[in-house]
Amino acid sequence: MGFVSTVMGCTGFGAGVSVGLVVGYFLFIYFLPSDVKDPVIRPLIEQDTATLQRLLPEIPLWVKNPDYDRIDWLNKFIEYMWPYLDKAICKTAINIAKPIIAEQIPKYKIESVEFETFTLGSLPPTFQGMKVYMTDEKELIMEPSLKWAGNPNVILAVKAFGLKASIQVVDLQIFASPRITLKPLVPSFPCFANIYVSLMEKPHVDFGLKLLGADLMSIPGLYRFVQELIKDQVCRMYLWPRTLEVPIMDPTKAMQKPVGILHVKVLRAMKLKKKDLLGASDPYVKLKLTEDKLPSKKTTVKRRNLNPEWNEEFNLAVKDPETQALEFHVYDWEQVGKHDKMGMNVVPLNELSPDEPKVMTLDLLKNMDPNDVQNDKLRGQLVVELTYKPFKDEDIPKDFVDLRTVEKAPDGTSTSGGMLVVIVHEAQDVEGKHHTNPYVRILFRGEEKKTKHVKKNRDPRWEEEFHFMLDEPPTNDKMHVEVQSASSKIGLLHPKECLGYVDINLSDVVSNKRINEKYHLIDSKNGRIQIELQWRTSS
Amino acid sequence: MGLISGIFMGTIFGIALMSGWRQMMRYRGNKRVAKAVDIKLLGSLSRDDLKKICGDNFPEWISFPVYEQVKWLNKQLNKMWPFVADAATLVIRESVEPLLEEYRPPGITSLKFSKLSLGNVAPKIEGIRVQSLKKGQITMDIDFRWGGDPSIILGVEAAMVASIPIQLKDLQVFTVIRVIFQLAEEIPCISAVVVALLSEPKPRIDYTLKAVGGSLTAIPGISDMIDDTVNTIVTDMLQWPHRIVVPIGGIPVDLSELELKPQGKLTVTVVKANNLKNMEMIGKSDPYVVVHIRPLFKVKSKVVENNLNPVWDQTFELIAEDKETQSLILEVFDEDIGQDKRLGIVKLPLIELEAETPKEIELRLLPSLDMLKIKDKKDRGTITIKVLYQQFNKEEQMAALEKEKEILEQRKKLKEAGVIGSTMDAVGSGVGMVGTGIGTGVGLVGTGIGAGVGIVGSGFGAVGSGLTKAGKFMGRTITGQSSKRNGSSGTTTPVNSVQENGGAKPL
Repeated sequence: MGFVSTVMGCTGFGAGVSVGLVVGYFLFIYFLPSDVKDPVIRPLIEQDTATLQRLLPEIPLWVKNPDYDRIDWLNKFIEYMWPYLDKAICKTAINIAKPIIAEQIPKYKIESVEFETFTLGSLPPTFQGMKVYMTDEKELIMEPSLKWAGNPNVILAVKAFGLKASIQVVDLQIFASPRITLKPLVPSFPCFANIYVSLMEKPHVDFGLKLLGADLMSIPGLYRFVQELIKDQVCRMYLWPRTLEVPIMDPTKAMQKPVGILHVKVLRAMKLKKKDLLGASDPYVKLKLTEDKLPSKKTTVKRRNLNPEWNEEFNLAVKDPETQALEFHVYDWEQVGKHDKMGMNVVPLNELSPDEPKVMTLDLLKNMDPNDVQNDKLRGQLVVELTYKPFKDEDIPKDFVDLRTVEKAPDGTSTSGGMLVVIVHEAQDVEGKHHTNPYVRILFRGEEKKTKHVKKNRDPRWEEEFHFMLDEPPTNDKMHVEVQSASSKIGLLHPKECLGYVDINLSDVVSNKRINEKYHLIDSKNGRIQIELQWRTSS
Repeated sequence: MGLISGIFMGTIFGIALMSGWRQMMRYRGNKRVAKAVDIKLLGSLSRDDLKKICGDNFPEWISFPVYEQVKWLNKQLNKMWPFVADAATLVIRESVEPLLEEYRPPGITSLKFSKLSLGNVAPKIEGIRVQSLKKGQITMDIDFRWGGDPSIILGVEAAMVASIPIQLKDLQVFTVIRVIFQLAEEIPCISAVVVALLSEPKPRIDYTLKAVGGSLTAIPGISDMIDDTVNTIVTDMLQWPHRIVVPIGGIPVDLSELELKPQGKLTVTVVKANNLKNMEMIGKSDPYVVVHIRPLFKVKSKVVENNLNPVWDQTFELIAEDKETQSLILEVFDEDIGQDKRLGIVKLPLIELEAETPKEIELRLLPSLDMLKIKDKKDRGTITIKVLYQQFNKEEQMAALEKEKEILEQRKKLKEAGVIGSTMDAVGSGVGMVGTGIGTGVGLVGTGIGAGVGIVGSGFGAVGSGLTKAGKFMGRTITGQSSKRNGSSGTTTPVNSVQENGGAKPL
C-alpha cells in the first residue's frame, strides 16, 4: 500500500510539476512584454553614491591610465551615426541570412523562419580609451578598448507543424580590447598592406536569449556555461598571438618591386633631320621608362651621321607592364649649349608579349599630341628591338612578403659563415655645427661603406642596405657606425663634420638573427640612429 | 490520496519554479540594463561628471578642451608619414600634372613638377570636434597644422624665356577643416562628404616662392600671379561657405541641398563717408569704395576727388550664399598714381541684418580687419550705408543660378577673346580688358604692362585661365558632378550695376 501510494505520489508530483510549469508559464512569463524599452538614463550628476559605487569598476581606461587617450569625438561620431548604422547593418544582415535560411529549412521540416524584428537598439558601442604603441618596425599598433552594452532586439519566429515559436535575443553586451596592427606600411594608399586583429584578453559576452518569452540565460549555471563556451570559442580563434588577418592589398605590388626586365636594343635610325648649321647632326638616343625615377639611359653619340647605327643594348627594370611605357628621345649632341631635340616616340609595354623579341620601326614625332600639326613633318625613323622578360615566380625576391623572416644566405658561403646584412633606416636629431647634410659611414673589418647624402636634414631617412660576406660568425666583432656631414659647397673651412657615432656589438646579432633597434649616438646631443642587422646563414 | 497530494505538491512546485525563474529573469535583465546605462554614462564624461566620480583624486592629466586632442592619431601619423608622403607624391603627380598640362595658360609652353616631395615633417592634428548641427549630418572640425618642409619645384617654360624652375618653400598651412558627413541608411552609411576650410579662424597658407638659379623678375608678375591664383582658389573654392562635395559609395541621393547656392540678395547703397584720413601730400584724398561679399566679385564706386567727407550715393546688388557666415566688406581707398592707398576697412556680418527690412548703418572704419595688426587707435572716420537683405524664393534662386551660368559663359568667352587679343597686341588688349572689366587678376596687367609685350599677355592669360582651371579642377576630382559643380562653386553671379574696373583693383 505504502509502495503504491509512493508511486502514485511520485507520478502525481511529476504530472503536477508539468501542470504547474505550464500554469506558472502562463501566469508569470507568457504575458511579459517582449518589446525592448530604451533604458532611462539620468545624468551622472544626479546619481546617488550607491550608483556611483557601482560605476567604479567600469571607469574608462583613459581616466585611469595616462597612456590611454580619450576618443570622445569618435564616440560622438558613432552616436550620431548609430541610427543610420543600425538600419544599414540590420538590412544587410537580413539580406545575408535570408537565402541561408531558405536553403536550410527544407531539411528540418520547418515551414518558415522569419525575422519579426531586427534592431540593434539605441545604444551605440563606445570606445573607452585608445592606446598606441611605438615600435621600430614598419607597423602601427593600436589598442582601443571597445565596450558595447546595447539593447538590441532580434526576434526570430519559427513555424513548424502548425506551431509558432519565437526566439528573442536581447541585451547583448560585448566588452573587448582588440589589438589592431597595420603592417607592413607601404608607400601607396592606403599605406598599409594588412590588418591584423587579435584579442588581448578574454572578451566579456553577455546576452539574454528568450525562448517563447522565457530567458534561458537566467537559468542558474546555464548562463555561465554558455558564456564560457562562447569565450573559449572566440579565444581559440583570436586570442593573441592568434590573429585575424585582413589583407588590404598585395604588398609586392605596393612596394613597387620590379616584376620583369625589358631588354632594349637600339639598332639604328634613318633619315634624321639636319639640325646643325655646319655638317650633319650628332645624334644620340635617350631612353626611359615612364614613372621611373631613375635617370635616362643614353647611347653613344654618332658624330656627323643622319643614318646612325648604334646596336647598343640596355636592360630596364619594369614595375608594372600594364601601365608603364618606354620613351625614346633622339637628341642632337652639341659641344656648347642645349642639345637639340630631334624627335621622340613612346611604346606602351602592354603592346609587347612576354619573352618575344619584337623589332619596331618608330616614326619620330615632335610630341605625343596626335593633333599637333608639327607631327606631320617627317623627322626620320628609329629602329629598336624590344624583349620583355617577366620574372618567373621563383625569381621574385621573397623577403618583402614577410619582413620578419630572415632570408637564407646565398649559396656558396661556407657552412659556418654567412652574410651580415646592415640596413640603415633613419636617424633623428642629428645636428652639425656648420652644416647638416648627413650620411652614414659604416666601418667593419676594414671595409668601409657609405650611404648617400641627405641634404639639410636633421631627421634623415636612408633606407639603404649593405652586405658583408663572412667566413665565420662575427661573435667578437664590433661595427663602427658614424653619421657624418659634408659641406654642400666646396668649403675649405669645414669640409666634413662628425655628427655622432656608435659602436655596435655583433654577438647579439648572431644569436638573434635579426635586430632592429635605435641606438643613441655618442658625441651628439640627442641623436639616435635606427639600424637593422641581420645574420643570414646558409643552414 | 497520494496521487492528489502529489499532483497538488507538484503543481505548487512547478509554479514556484516558474516564479523563481521569472524572478531570476528580472534580476538578470535589470542587471544587464543597469550595466548598459553605466557604460552609456561613462561613454561621454564631462569634467563635472569626472569630478563627482573621482572626488579628490581627480587625475591631473585630463583636460576637456573644445577641440579634443588626438595624441594617438598624431603619433600614428608621424610614423606613417614617410609612406603617406610617398604615396601622395605619386597621386599628386599623376592627377595634377595632366591637369596642369591641359589647363596651362597660353604663353607658357610647359608647366610640370620637376620635383615634388612632401618633406619629412608630418602634419599635426591639434584637435577634433564633432557636432551634429543638422539632422542627418555630422560636422567634424579638424584643427589642422602643417609647418612642413616640402620641396616643390615647378618647371615653367614660357615662350620668350627658357625654363625657369620655381620653388615653393616654407609652406605652412594652419586651418580648421570642416568635414560634413551626410548620413544614409545604406552601408557605408555616408552618402556624401563636404569639405571646406572654416573662415573663422581664417585659414593661413604661407609660402615663399623662389626661382632656382635666377630671379622671379624674369617673368614680371609671375609671383603675384601664383599668389593671386592660390588666394582665389582658397577663399573662393574652399573657404566656408564654399565647399567641395564628394559623393561616396554610389548611393544615389540628392546632393543639391549640400551645394552652395545663392541664398539672397543684398542691396547696398554707399551713402557717404565722414572724417576720412588724409593720405595725400598735396590736397586731400580722392576716396572711392570697394564692396564685396566674395573676393572674386568686387564692385567699385566712383571716385570723389579731393574730399574727406565724400558723398557717393551709389547702389550695388550683391549675392549672398550663406547669411550665417558671410560678411559684407567695405574698403575705402584713396586713388593715387601707382598703388592706391587703403583709408579704412569695415566688416558687416550678414547675420546682423534682418531680412526684408531696410536699414541705415554708420560704421567705423578700421585700418585692418586683423585685430592683431592694428597698431594705432586713431580715428579713421566713418562710412554710412543703407542695406536691404532679401531672401530668394525658389524661382528667384533658380533665376539667379541661370543668370550665374550665363555670366559665367560670357566671362569665359571674353577671357578667351582677351587672351587671343593679348598675344597679338598685348598693351592694347590689356587696356581693352580693363575697359570691359571682367578679369579678376586684371590688376596684374597693370603691373605687367611696363615690362614686356609678349609677357603681359601671357601673364594675364595665365590668371584668367588659372581661375577657370581651378574651377574645372575642382569639378574634375569629383566624379559625375563636374557640370553641376562648375555652376555653383566655380564663379558666382556678379549682378552688379557697376562692372568691376579691374585695373584699379589693388592687390
